[in-house]
Amino acid sequence: MTTAVPLMRLLSVPFDPGRARSVERPRWSGVVTASAVVAVLGAGLAMEAAHGDLRHIGQGIARGAVHAAFLVAGWIIAVSRQDCLGPVVRAAASLFVASIASTFSLWGALLYLLPPLMLLSEGVRREALRHVGLCATARLRSVVLGLGAGMFLGGHLLISASLTFGYLVSVSNVGQYLAAVAYDVGANALTAEWLFRAAIFSRAWRRWEFWPSAALSTSLAVTRYMADPALPHAIEARVGAVFYCALLGFTACALRAESGSILPGYLATVTFFAAYRMLVP
Amino acid sequence: MILGPIVLLAIITVAMAVEAADAPSVIRHLYLGPTVWAALSLGARGGGLVGFIACLVQAPFTLPAMERLGLGPESIDGLVSMTMPPALGVAVGGLVDQVRTRAARLQTVLDLQRDLLRDATLQERLDRAADRVRDLLGAQRLALVVGCTAARVVASSPGGVVFLDRSAVAWTLREGLPLLIHDLEQDPRFPAGPAAGPSPVRGLILPLDSGSGPVGALAVERVGGFPLSTRAVAKEMALQLALVVENARLALLQQRFAEELEAKVLAATDRLRQLDQAKTEFVSVVAHELRTPLTALQGFTELLVSRAVPPERTAKALSHLHREAERLGRIVAELLDVSRIESGRPLELKPEAVDLCEMIDRNIELFAAQHQGHRFRCVPHPDARTLEADRDAVDRILKNLISNAVKYSPGGGRVIVRTMPADDHPGMIEMSVEDDGVGIPADQRSRIFDKYVRVRDRQTTAVRGLGLGLALVRALTEAHGGHVEVESLPGKGSTFRVFLPGEQAVLADFPDSSA
Repeated sequence: MTTAVPLMRLLSVPFDPGRARSVERPRWSGVVTASAVVAVLGAGLAMEAAHGDLRHIGQGIARGAVHAAFLVAGWIIAVSRQDCLGPVVRAAASLFVASIASTFSLWGALLYLLPPLMLLSEGVRREALRHVGLCATARLRSVVLGLGAGMFLGGHLLISASLTFGYLVSVSNVGQYLAAVAYDVGANALTAEWLFRAAIFSRAWRRWEFWPSAALSTSLAVTRYMADPALPHAIEARVGAVFYCALLGFTACALRAESGSILPGYLATVTFFAAYRMLVP
Repeated sequence: MILGPIVLLAIITVAMAVEAADAPSVIRHLYLGPTVWAALSLGARGGGLVGFIACLVQAPFTLPAMERLGLGPESIDGLVSMTMPPALGVAVGGLVDQVRTRAARLQTVLDLQRDLLRDATLQERLDRAADRVRDLLGAQRLALVVGCTAARVVASSPGGVVFLDRSAVAWTLREGLPLLIHDLEQDPRFPAGPAAGPSPVRGLILPLDSGSGPVGALAVERVGGFPLSTRAVAKEMALQLALVVENARLALLQQRFAEELEAKVLAATDRLRQLDQAKTEFVSVVAHELRTPLTALQGFTELLVSRAVPPERTAKALSHLHREAERLGRIVAELLDVSRIESGRPLELKPEAVDLCEMIDRNIELFAAQHQGHRFRCVPHPDARTLEADRDAVDRILKNLISNAVKYSPGGGRVIVRTMPADDHPGMIEMSVEDDGVGIPADQRSRIFDKYVRVRDRQTTAVRGLGLGLALVRALTEAHGGHVEVESLPGKGSTFRVFLPGEQAVLADFPDSSA
């Protein structure tokens, strides 16, 4: 029985100091896809201005387009140039469908469970996606930490908001609440973790140390929530959004670094937003 | 380990909630307890985390009170006590981290020094040092490479790492520059490898320099981050390892010197023993050689003194006496010459034109008369008739060579003396004495011109002599600016070639006066 010789790349692999990192040219398929998404978003926004069913459809399209754009952007950043966009286009399409369906019926929100399953199946099939943390499992300790962090931040949000600003904590319509949670599971938390932690943080962490990478990823994530039209305009809501999104972002980055998977951070985000959905202004 | 402070924190929070006072409760000051506990146990990370949680759980109590009471002294006090835990947790934890890191560094340095003194092989000590430094840096793989031109891995953790001449470490050894790679798996300067893992693998190579020049490099591979503080520790360890390597190198040198010295002492002792043995043998041989003619002298003189001996027997006895006296004189002369050579005094030579053919003929006649079992022949060359040399010296050279040729042809045989111009040595004349005797074994050929050395052969054990003849031949030849060579085959015989200056060598120094 032979003992495997450990490979130490610094000693055992050729090194060419003259070979520089090549500037990655934008993939035309990515440009086309991004253009299509922007076009769809524009169409959705245009339809939102209309009345009746078209308005609902337009809202669904616009919402779906934004999350699809996050999915596609994350895929382009995270995956190598040789990989095709097929899987992410399919996941984005399922997002569109779920988004439109949920505007017509609460049961349509069940379709939001499709995108995470599709992304997860890609993670199982492609070993190369593990370098960005897309894998089916994580250590139990990390999963528990993620759930605990989400519950702590969510609970703190509920207590602070109710005690400080007089917000109510209640679930008046269970169906609507579950639809909102489904939206977080399939779109909000999923695309946030995929884009900001799996793609941006993973890529930055390979070039910089943890804190600068986490700061970049978290600041972009906070910006995304600040730009979300669904965020209330009240000053305390905006300050609170910055505060909690920053904490959530850094926590998710730390969980990603510690566990090697985006699953704990995803669970933290889902749990937090599940608490957020209970707040009534 | 963080569970204890968290539980205490929760208890304090519950107590605050139960108290439900209008103003910020004094219980809030207790939050410093679990914060300091976490900072002392877990350092800045633990203290900062628990402190931040303490800040967060105070917020639902402090902020509403601030809203009710306004921004007064109590509110400010509440704000301050809210922000104190994270600040204190980070500050105290940071100090604890610094102290622990310094202690770990010093302990590692102490352990490295202790390992050097351990009774173990050099390889075991270096492997142990590599393990310690790897544990200190929290690295996955570490290697110590020694040498700048012909580098090799002297220790690695885990072991068995292979070194490539075109690797990043080889580049550092050539350039003498440190190298930090943020992502070993995806850096374009390395060829593509297996699929990258979820965490980046950082690489750091530091040259080892103990102050007397670069001695090698330290290579570290670490999964996850490689913060500045860890890099600083790695630099310090590189210095310590350079000292370890330098100490090991000096220890090896010292060991080698000691071994060489021991070998030289043994060789010198052996030589002294051989000389002592040779001296004992020499004394024995000299005593024997001297005793033989002296016994003959004594015997014959006693005979002549004690009895009336007939004239024909008297003449014979006197002839024996003369011969033995001559022999005694030769032995003493040889001993005196050897003594002169050994004391470094130059031989007194009187160069003159010597008729070589006449001298050879005379000696051949002498030896032929004494050794009828041998056939002697002279083959002179018309262009090699005259030498410019000391007559006595040439005579002794000839006598020694012919005597040896006779002695080492115990069964009889031929002895041929030739002269010829030395083609390879202009101005020199070659005189050779050839025999078909026992020859000289190859392993003894290099020593036969040494003093007191005689060829050991079962056919010539009865041969008498001091072992000085050939030493004298060489000394006398070299005193004339010439040299002596030998060719021999065991069982076939030997040919001794002596190169001495001819008359032309002297004339060549002077321009032709007729020109």
